[in-house]
Amino acid sequence: MTHILLRDLDIPDIWQFDTYVANGGYEGLKKAVQEHSPQEVIQIVLESNLRGRGGAGFPAGRKWSFIPQDAPIKYVTVNADESEPGTFKDRQLLEKNPHQVIEGAMIAAYAIQAAGVYIYCRGEFWDLAHALEERIEEARQANLVGENVLGSGWTCDVYVHLGAGAYICGEESALLNSLQGLLGQPRVRPPFPAQIGGGLYYQPTVVNNVETLANVPWILVNGADEYKKIGTPQSPGPKIFCMSGHVAKPGNYELPLGITFRELIFEHAGGIRDGKELKAILPSGASGPVLVATDEVLDTPLTYEDVAALGSTLGSASIILMDEDTDMVWAAAKMTHFFKHESCGKCTPCREGTYWLDRIYERLLRGEGTQHDLDMLHVVPKQMAPVTLCALGEFAANPVLSTVTQFPEEYERYIQRSDAPHPEMADAMSTVTRGTTGEVPEAVAEGGA
Amino acid sequence: MADIVTITIDGQDFQVPAGTNLVDAAKMLGTDIPVFCYHPKMEPVGMCRMCLVELGSISVNRETGEPDLDENGEPVVRWFPKLQTACTQKTYEGMVIRTTTEKVVAGRDDILEFILTSHPLDCPVCDKGGECPLQNLTMAYGPGQSRFVFTDKLNLDKHVPLGELIYLDRERCIQCARCVRFCDELVGDDVLAFHERGRRLQIVTISDPPFDTKFSGNTTDICPVGALTTTDFRFGARPWELDEVPTICPYCPVGCNLSASTRLDRDTGGKKIIKRIMPRQNEEVNEIWICDKGRFGHHHSRSTERILHPMIRKGDELVTVDWATAYAEVAARLKKYGDRTGFVAGPALSNEDLWELRKLTRLVGEQRQRGLWPATMSGIEAIAQAGAGVGTRVQDMGPGGAILVIASDFEEEAPIWWLQVKQAADRGVKVVVANARGTKLDKYAAATMPYAYGDAVAVMNGLAARARSRKKIARSLVESRVDGMDALIDSLKGVKVPHPEAADLLLDADDLLIFAGGEGLTLAQHGELMQAAANLLILTAHVGRPNNGLVAVWPGANVQGAMDMGFSAETTAALLDDPPPMWFIAEADPAGEDVRAAEVIANAECVVVTSLFMTETAQQADIILPGQSFAERDGTFTNGMRRVQRFYTAQGPIGDSLPDWKIFAHIGRQMGGDQPRISTGLVMREITEKVFRYADMGYPNLARVEKQFPDVGGDDLYYGGTAYTNTGGLGVQWKTNAEHEQHRLTVRPVNVDSFAADGLQLIPVRVLYDRGMWFRVSDVMDQRVPAPYVELNEADAAGLGIADGEQIAVVLGERTVEVRARVNGKTPAGYALLPMRLSDAPTLTVPAAGVVQKIEE
Repeated sequence: MTHILLRDLDIPDIWQFDTYVANGGYEGLKKAVQEHSPQEVIQIVLESNLRGRGGAGFPAGRKWSFIPQDAPIKYVTVNADESEPGTFKDRQLLEKNPHQVIEGAMIAAYAIQAAGVYIYCRGEFWDLAHALEERIEEARQANLVGENVLGSGWTCDVYVHLGAGAYICGEESALLNSLQGLLGQPRVRPPFPAQIGGGLYYQPTVVNNVETLANVPWILVNGADEYKKIGTPQSPGPKIFCMSGHVAKPGNYELPLGITFRELIFEHAGGIRDGKELKAILPSGASGPVLVATDEVLDTPLTYEDVAALGSTLGSASIILMDEDTDMVWAAAKMTHFFKHESCGKCTPCREGTYWLDRIYERLLRGEGTQHDLDMLHVVPKQMAPVTLCALGEFAANPVLSTVTQFPEEYERYIQRSDAPHPEMADAMSTVTRGTTGEVPEAVAEGGA
Repeated sequence: MADIVTITIDGQDFQVPAGTNLVDAAKMLGTDIPVFCYHPKMEPVGMCRMCLVELGSISVNRETGEPDLDENGEPVVRWFPKLQTACTQKTYEGMVIRTTTEKVVAGRDDILEFILTSHPLDCPVCDKGGECPLQNLTMAYGPGQSRFVFTDKLNLDKHVPLGELIYLDRERCIQCARCVRFCDELVGDDVLAFHERGRRLQIVTISDPPFDTKFSGNTTDICPVGALTTTDFRFGARPWELDEVPTICPYCPVGCNLSASTRLDRDTGGKKIIKRIMPRQNEEVNEIWICDKGRFGHHHSRSTERILHPMIRKGDELVTVDWATAYAEVAARLKKYGDRTGFVAGPALSNEDLWELRKLTRLVGEQRQRGLWPATMSGIEAIAQAGAGVGTRVQDMGPGGAILVIASDFEEEAPIWWLQVKQAADRGVKVVVANARGTKLDKYAAATMPYAYGDAVAVMNGLAARARSRKKIARSLVESRVDGMDALIDSLKGVKVPHPEAADLLLDADDLLIFAGGEGLTLAQHGELMQAAANLLILTAHVGRPNNGLVAVWPGANVQGAMDMGFSAETTAALLDDPPPMWFIAEADPAGEDVRAAEVIANAECVVVTSLFMTETAQQADIILPGQSFAERDGTFTNGMRRVQRFYTAQGPIGDSLPDWKIFAHIGRQMGGDQPRISTGLVMREITEKVFRYADMGYPNLARVEKQFPDVGGDDLYYGGTAYTNTGGLGVQWKTNAEHEQHRLTVRPVNVDSFAADGLQLIPVRVLYDRGMWFRVSDVMDQRVPAPYVELNEADAAGLGIADGEQIAVVLGERTVEVRARVNGKTPAGYALLPMRLSDAPTLTVPAAGVVQKIEE
């Protein structure tokens, strides 16, 4: 098939401005600016039912429509803080097809009449961010970005900002704080980013994922109706599935929403590595509940609503496969440790809950776990998840609860054994968490940073 | 006014203003919602998650606008599936909450358990123990047994100095960010921050010097655990051993209400001493905040350097005598010199002291030379006419208001007013700063009106001229009860308006409050500045109502009271010009602060002082009478907004010392005066009978309290912090002439002459942390008091060959003071800023031409 998003697979040089333009690039932006009012652009995207690809699946057009039109300053922020374990789609888009993201962002900016676009890249996108600035400059030279875009009288520049390596900054309000130079911690909402007081520099702001925006030029060129022919009515359009774990052919796969897990894994991604059996699936990186790979699950269409019906979430569609040999306690420990490390610490339940869980897993991995620890694995996540300030606390509860309930016998084995099954990892957890040098830097211990 | 909405709390309906924070609304209505991070004086952040409630809304039919009803006829409530944090909710019509259900209690239990997992079990040795919100709420919520494995607890540093004054215990910190937010949002000092994230999230100081703010102590009050403690109090006592005594800060004109926490103490051989000073809530004055000077500057009340007995000079020696001898000796001298005696009252004598001193002056003769120290500011007439209206609260001012701060380094001179004005600026009040140099308030100002030293009166007069030319004159007031209009209006014709745009910000405001300091003004100029301010305020009818009028940033806690009792700086100036042979100086150190006064006093025939310490002045004295600090006696101070406030006896006397009023009364008795009163209350009763503005100031009136919001103290420690409930009285403000309908108001043209700038002008400036006679013994503040310095302009310094940091000489007449040069771009060229009371040697209290030079090798 011809790709809509990962067009680099069809046209390797599409990252180059000339190639992109030669292949219909920036036609969507031109069409939007020259043929449509901002309101019409929002309407088209609304009709396409393009849903946010960052994880929540919130309709992009509705998000745009929330922006108060009379607000004097509005912004578009592109969430390129791609940090979910197992997610690597935005990176490919930004590296290989960057102009499409810029074009999508500019269309969004036109739709809300934004004063600026900020692309917030995760800190590790160092090289990528610099290359991106060159691509933006190319677009600027062509009057597609910057002053008086395409002669429309509307001025909007695009800026790239690098984060400093924090998972939480993928959360939109923490991202906005970080972008403003504040501590990367989520904000209290309301006000939401689209409202006055809630966005970037407290101005109404649209925050969209990279992949979401990459869909937009195509929708403008081909129309909402064409777009809805792809995928399912409730989850239309193409989606990039990031395949990793024990999969034979890891990588990004652009396929219409609505294909089943089975098709994705076995027809496209080559099945399970080394001919093993598939045991469990993480459909949305570390943050969604683990699914046991039953036939029911495998035959479930990959849409926001169908995966939700299974009790998990499609999220950013970073699908991590785990084969029959996978130690689920070890896997849950790893994810817990990740969330403990990435908890921003702002709210009590997440800060303390992830730490508590991390301690329990360390004991389990050392072979020192007790029945009390196991009991607490049922209690702590439930106590933490519903009352945290942002979704990270819920995410952190998912791997624990979904494994402790679906693989209880594996946990039982851990508390019955006296040897340390994973001492290296337990040691690693210990040094990161409690090591004498790790906890408080010397300068900080004396009161100064 | 906000719309009134109906909300339902635990089944009961209440009417509240829309948009009220839900925790506050519930508190006002008598429902406790526990919090750790939320504080009623700060914006909510939703961090601790303790304030969980069940939240719902009454379902309303979209077509009819009527509530949907269930089968029982009750309104249908749509509940959020999860518990919500109350602190992040604002009240709206149809809001329904439940605060006592099992679900809510379980949610709070869970949060408390989480907080306790990382909190140490050191309550028995924690300074906060006994007044700790976490301790208290643990009694109310949380599991009785710990499910967290004890060895999993983090062990972190427990004695981290965040500066000289505040220690951080990292284990106890629950990351509520109250301290960070207080410094960031309320004060605007970027001094504390979070470092790291997750369980490593911790408070650090990011300023150099560390925790560099004048308000650091307040963070210990609002810290909901024992993480922040003061150097002054930590490990000093347990809260339940302390007796709280309401008192008033003796340092600046704000008149912050304090609570002296006292205890019988081992360190003083079992005598009662002040263990710490805490804020006492007075929403009319300091709210629940105090500055670090007020909090940590109390050590003079028990200093070992205090004068313990009356002393009389015999030759070169000072001989200890009993009081009777001392009284007789002073009386004899007063009889000898009669009204050739200059009386000088210090800036923090109580009203009762001043009254008795006044009575004494009447016994010595006709002249009654009642001076006031420091002799830097005047203008009581301007205050009497146009002082800030009764009920003025900067906290109440909104975007329609404007505040002018002129000739004052406001944060150094009146920190809590600075804090309130800064917050007013944050709320949209048009704050205009007029000064001859940059000050910290400039950053928050809507406009500044820079002028050259000497031109302050011209700036103020220019505002009146602008009011005239823009026809902003309030005809009805002016025509009905103002005298002197024509002359004033004539004098304003053709007057230059230095900063018309800034002037218009002030003139276009609904409310106008003026804070006038005395920096860079001669005494005569200050009087003119005050009159010019009164002219402006009367012309524009910004008098006689709350949040309008004039406030003087007096150089002391009871300068207002001293003026009310008939003491004046002009008299002091006249006395210095034409020195009398005898001086009677009460709780002031002119010889230690001013070269000219030092000269005059050194040449006097007879000097009598009352003093706590052997000041420069006391060293010149023939008779020294030991007075008492604010802690050892009671009385009243009148603050810069004319609020008379009581302070109470917190501890026993040091040595044989007596309160000044008693000393004066006993001397007066020897001179044929009345039998001394037996209490300050009776002295005040006499004042109420004789001083018409003080007619309402009887002690029972001054002691009145009422319930204030936010509720602090008591069981609500988690809510407002450990500031104390006000049990000592909110005080009473005296009314200005503008507020007495029958009084006429007077305006007059002012003299705008600058002083002749001849060579380098030395400008005395006030710094908060000085080496004043009481504050210098506050050992914990040592490192915050700068070494003596003079601030020079870069060009001037270069011309004199002086480098930044160099030790240089300031020549003041025949004396020379060595100070460190601070060379910066903020000091205007041609001027040198010389802080008062920093050197051990006397310097200047009023501007003068002077010489700054390198020290000869």
